Amino acid sequence: MLEFQFESIAAFVEMTPHGVYVWPIYGLGLLVIGGLTWLNARQHRQAIRMVQRNLEREESHES
Amino acid sequence: MSIEKRMLARELKLIAARPGDIFKPMWFLMLVISMVPLALAPDSDLLAEIGSAMIWVATLLALLLNTEHLFQSDFSDGVLEQWLFLDRPLAWLVGLKLIAHWLFHVLPLILITPIAGLMLSVPTEVLFALLATLFVATPALTCFSGLGAALTLGSSRSGILGVLVMMPLFVPVVILAAGVLIRATDGSDTLPLMALLGAFSVVAATLVPIAVSAAIRLNIGGSN
Amino acid sequence: MGWRWFHQWGSPRWFYERAGRWQLVCGWLALILLVAGSIWGLGFAPVDYQQGNSYRIIYLHVPVAFLAQAMYAAMALCAVVLFVWKMKLADVAMQSIAVMGFAFTVLSLVSGAVWGKPTWGTYWVWDARLTSMLILAFLYLGAIGLRAAIQDPDQAGKACGILVLVGVVNLPIIKYSVEWWNTLHQPASLKLTEKPAMPASMWVPLLVNILGYYIAAAYLVLGSMRAIVLERERRATWVKELIGRA
Repeated sequence: MLEFQFESIAAFVEMTPHGVYVWPIYGLGLLVIGGLTWLNARQHRQAIRMVQRNLEREESHES
Repeated sequence: MSIEKRMLARELKLIAARPGDIFKPMWFLMLVISMVPLALAPDSDLLAEIGSAMIWVATLLALLLNTEHLFQSDFSDGVLEQWLFLDRPLAWLVGLKLIAHWLFHVLPLILITPIAGLMLSVPTEVLFALLATLFVATPALTCFSGLGAALTLGSSRSGILGVLVMMPLFVPVVILAAGVLIRATDGSDTLPLMALLGAFSVVAATLVPIAVSAAIRLNIGGSN
Repeated sequence: MGWRWFHQWGSPRWFYERAGRWQLVCGWLALILLVAGSIWGLGFAPVDYQQGNSYRIIYLHVPVAFLAQAMYAAMALCAVVLFVWKMKLADVAMQSIAVMGFAFTVLSLVSGAVWGKPTWGTYWVWDARLTSMLILAFLYLGAIGLRAAIQDPDQAGKACGILVLVGVVNLPIIKYSVEWWNTLHQPASLKLTEKPAMPASMWVPLLVNILGYYIAAAYLVLGSMRAIVLERERRATWVKELIGRA
């Protein structure tokens, strides 16, 4: 059942004549999921930094 | 005098104080309609074909324009807060406000559409269908844009956000109205679609005021 | 026993700590499923005899389109939880899902449009499904924009909740009216012809990818929720303890 449908890797990339439509879409999908992952991580880092700054300020007030 | 009568009397007084509020949307509607032949072509066959749809969209925009700040002045001078202390359900008062708005601000808009129809040489039978759809559909549109206005009350920089937020919900109304207009052009039966449109309006007019009152409560609760 | 599993969601600390682990599991699982499903779909599934290789976009388009709709429903569910149980985490979830749902809706629109080029000969047709997807994108934008415009987070969350609930009631009406509108105006020639049922070699990879994208969405939503929880709870003692220790 599992049989590679293309004769060569070049034919796989080409997907005659539809490679130009198929591949960019999968690239975009990767970009969206990767980009959102990166944005989440950045937001998380920023939140942590904000809490750290607040902690430092409190400590300097106490001393 | 009952609260209901006093509310309507107050609305009338407000309009008498600033009659410009009624005329600006009508002015807008006529301006948009005059732009259509200028942008397109003064070809009356073409205009007759798209005229009714153009008038519908222009009326929709004019209605949005004058509903955007529906609750703003009542909110800033504290009238909405007073509503909470009346022995009436808030949704009922909201409904009254919406009815008053429809009567005094939307109805005049509908009444001048025949003139716009004549300017775009819309055939008479389509013109009647256009008027009928506007009468039946505008209550739903007024309710939804009122909800948009209530939701954005708490935001100082909302701009036309209330309109943008509510616009997608107008899709069924616009589609049904367009269906009526197409059938009126063909000369086929428009009654089933008008009935659906009416049903949508009735359901919207019953349920949306509840959502509007929740939005108002939220904004008044948040400001203390 | 009984309701504890539900009430612990009211504790942001409990959520923050658990969600980190769930996020990791979801992330790896999604990666494995998506890599496997996509390679299977792109390289090993048989060619469609009508559309040729362009149909392989289905392995991204269909899961993403499913998700776009399911996430709006999930957002509405969160709104119900917010209003009935006053659970703040539900509001955080609503905020995350709105952004992710919008991203998936745009992805499904773009992939649908690009798929349309070889199939219909044009990027955009006013097809019923594309049109209702477009409206859905505007609904998501409304939820994002409304929240951004209101300063107080509690108030913004509740306003969004009202909007989303009204939206979810209207969504089926919008969908059916758009379908009806499409039959009213357009000849059926632009529609894809009814195809015979897909063979298993085509739909099994599709199923793998649907599962993969759902789990990827869970991964993204959890990640975004953790960041928002930390941001909103920045003055809470547990956050200070947690970050002070690290």
